[in-house]
Amino acid sequence: MTRLAYMRNYAILFAAITAVFGFRLATGAKTAIAATNSAQVGAQLVSAGNKKGAIACARCHGYDGASDGSGAFPTLAGQSAYYLTAQLRNFASGDRQNALMSSIAKGLTDEEMQSVAQYYAAARPTLPVKRQGQPDLVARGQYIATEGNLPNRVQACISCHGPNGNGEPPAIPYLSGQYKHYIQVQLLTFKKGYRKDVQMGNVGHRVSDEQAAAVASYFDQLPLPNNQ
Amino acid sequence: MPQRLKEVDVVCVGMGFAGSILAKELAASGLKVVGLERGKDRHSVPDFQSPQIHDELKYSVRKAFMQDVHKEAMTFRNTHNEVALPMRQWEGFLPGTGLGGCGVHWNGQAWRYQAADFIYKTHIEQRYGKKILDPDLRIQDWGVTYAELEPYYDKFEYLIGAGGKAGNLNGKIQPGGNPLESPRSREYPNPPMKEQYAGALFRKAALELGYHPFIQPSANMTRPYTNTEGIALNPCVYCGFCERYGCEQFAKASPQTVILPKLREYSNFELRTGAHVLKINLDSTGKKATGVSYMDEQGREFEQPASLVLCTAFILNNIRMLLLSGIGKPYDPLTEKGSVGRNYAYQTQSYVPVFFDEDIHLNSYMAAGASGTVIDDFSVDNFDHSGLGFIGGCYIMSGSTGARPIEFHPTPPGTPRWGSRWKEAVRKHYNHTAIFNLSGTSTAARQNYADLDPTYRDAWGLPALRITYDFPENDVRMSKYVTNKASEIAHRMGAKTVVNEPRVRPYSTTTYQSTHNTGGAVMGNDPATSVVNRYLQSWDVSNVFVVGASAYPQNSSYNPTVTLGALIYWTADAIKNHYLKNPGPLA
Repeated sequence: MTRLAYMRNYAILFAAITAVFGFRLATGAKTAIAATNSAQVGAQLVSAGNKKGAIACARCHGYDGASDGSGAFPTLAGQSAYYLTAQLRNFASGDRQNALMSSIAKGLTDEEMQSVAQYYAAARPTLPVKRQGQPDLVARGQYIATEGNLPNRVQACISCHGPNGNGEPPAIPYLSGQYKHYIQVQLLTFKKGYRKDVQMGNVGHRVSDEQAAAVASYFDQLPLPNNQ
Repeated sequence: MPQRLKEVDVVCVGMGFAGSILAKELAASGLKVVGLERGKDRHSVPDFQSPQIHDELKYSVRKAFMQDVHKEAMTFRNTHNEVALPMRQWEGFLPGTGLGGCGVHWNGQAWRYQAADFIYKTHIEQRYGKKILDPDLRIQDWGVTYAELEPYYDKFEYLIGAGGKAGNLNGKIQPGGNPLESPRSREYPNPPMKEQYAGALFRKAALELGYHPFIQPSANMTRPYTNTEGIALNPCVYCGFCERYGCEQFAKASPQTVILPKLREYSNFELRTGAHVLKINLDSTGKKATGVSYMDEQGREFEQPASLVLCTAFILNNIRMLLLSGIGKPYDPLTEKGSVGRNYAYQTQSYVPVFFDEDIHLNSYMAAGASGTVIDDFSVDNFDHSGLGFIGGCYIMSGSTGARPIEFHPTPPGTPRWGSRWKEAVRKHYNHTAIFNLSGTSTAARQNYADLDPTYRDAWGLPALRITYDFPENDVRMSKYVTNKASEIAHRMGAKTVVNEPRVRPYSTTTYQSTHNTGGAVMGNDPATSVVNRYLQSWDVSNVFVVGASAYPQNSSYNPTVTLGALIYWTADAIKNHYLKNPGPLA
């Protein structure tokens, strides 16, 4: 871990502690205060939610952003703040439809969205994540993810999601280390129009259920991009 | 001793857009068709997938998709009293090889030509009289009119999923489109591309100056599209790697994405790659082709008999195939006898680099091959040339096709060409510089032509094609005039520094300008001044059709591919509906 990353993680931990125990920082330069406030707000929301309908993020996504391991909730740790903020805005506006997340996002101000996004962008899983998949499924998924599939005209996932699916931040999320069930469901939601995106909607229509499962299994067993 | 293969109905020499579409149309008519491609078989998956396809060094600098210069190249000279020398690396233009041809590595700029283009000689002489023409110019009519080609333009645009906004629907001017275009029968199949910031600034300035800006028509998909062959294409992601690259997204129209999947469903079609055609064989009368001879990658020679031979290679290879096969009479610039190689023309490109202050962030890397905002006010004959002393014109476009890191590093005049000051200037200007691209008419002239080189031969022992070309004085004057107009727009945009770079003589093959070679096997109604008739059928050998931009009697302001697409379908119809019923001369 680089010194900078170490310090950043330390700062998050500190912010989380101050939020949990209700400490307040009263000194520092103006910008530092603003940044600290934002971190405090993020940590507060993660641990306790707010009174406008946003429940504590950590209940499903964990304090470390690794979520509960069921695959029902995505890993958020290290995903770009820009991307996470955009998703919260989409949940709130209805561009991305999800019964649970829409009501939560509607309870957040735009500043709160940004704060919580920054929190998870800086978060790292407390334990290293390494899962295994069915070798044949992973191999098929790897081919589609890295080379594409000619018969149904699917481009390689990594064309946009970056080498090894590590993402092209800020706009394009990482897939490596993401839960397979989550990836599978997202391909379906793109196909059904519950998530709106010209590119991914198109991909959702192209891939078969079997191919979606293979691709998801491939990314599932890769390490998270910022977790080496 | 060449191995003689079983006779087929049709053989296509070259499998780019022309070969692929004609093969499909004729295979669908029940004919046995063989497509010969000298290069490799290749597909969107896996050959064009990233990250390897975004290897700028491999594709842009080392030109991996181009004809192997060690095996086959053209020789070049500016005038006929010089000795032509062979090109040892591709710079001026980029002849592709491999399945899909130039249709793989083009940008997708999807222009129609104008009604005036097809009757250029008649039109110019009627409007200005013959005196406007310099004595060296040899413009002529195409033998086909825009109205005749319009349904075929439409057909090709719906095949390739062209994106744009009609400016003239059946004679009625449409807001948002190009009001100066010739009438089209229906709207584009897809909407226009997104506008770049440099394009938006250009649009504003052009409007203030009274011009008519619009977004350039594109064959990079602007939304998911299923084409007229039932093949699905994906929307473009504006990755900035179009020209010189294949498309990993199935988003750029190329034979691989619009026609080959359909063609390969036909059991009466056979593709042979690695098949280098040496010549078209003629019978003892010299009036009928019996097929072609080709060599495979192991050096084995084959004879492929065929009832119909379609020359569907890149324009320079089309001309050379005719010359190597003894079809038609080679052009002699001194006597002006003969027509093969005559009216070789090009594209008169010029550029205007426009440097802005550092608070203008253009993000030019967010681009597609056909991104661009354009004015058509100075194209072809869209403005009054009376008293100007030249014919022709350019479209003026502000747009970037990618601003890729190795190729794009504009620096203002006075910057050293290397060292720390150069690096500093590149850093300073990279994101704050727009380059206007002016694509101009190339007027055919007596002195410009192509023939066989007397000295240099290719790896198969056959004479290389020799190109003799320089910009006619007319085109130099034209370029100067329109480039000045472009500079005025640039100043209006609030640029800090504007560099005016009109095209000057001599033409050099050592810096990239355009791959838009045209002519040399031109179409027309007079066998004395054309190689093929209005159906692209050889005047001399009626079972040979020569389909390519080699048929253009002179070049217009616009990129040539969509007009070629219209001619491909026009020819396919002529073969299917007329030639097959009664094989012989159609005109």
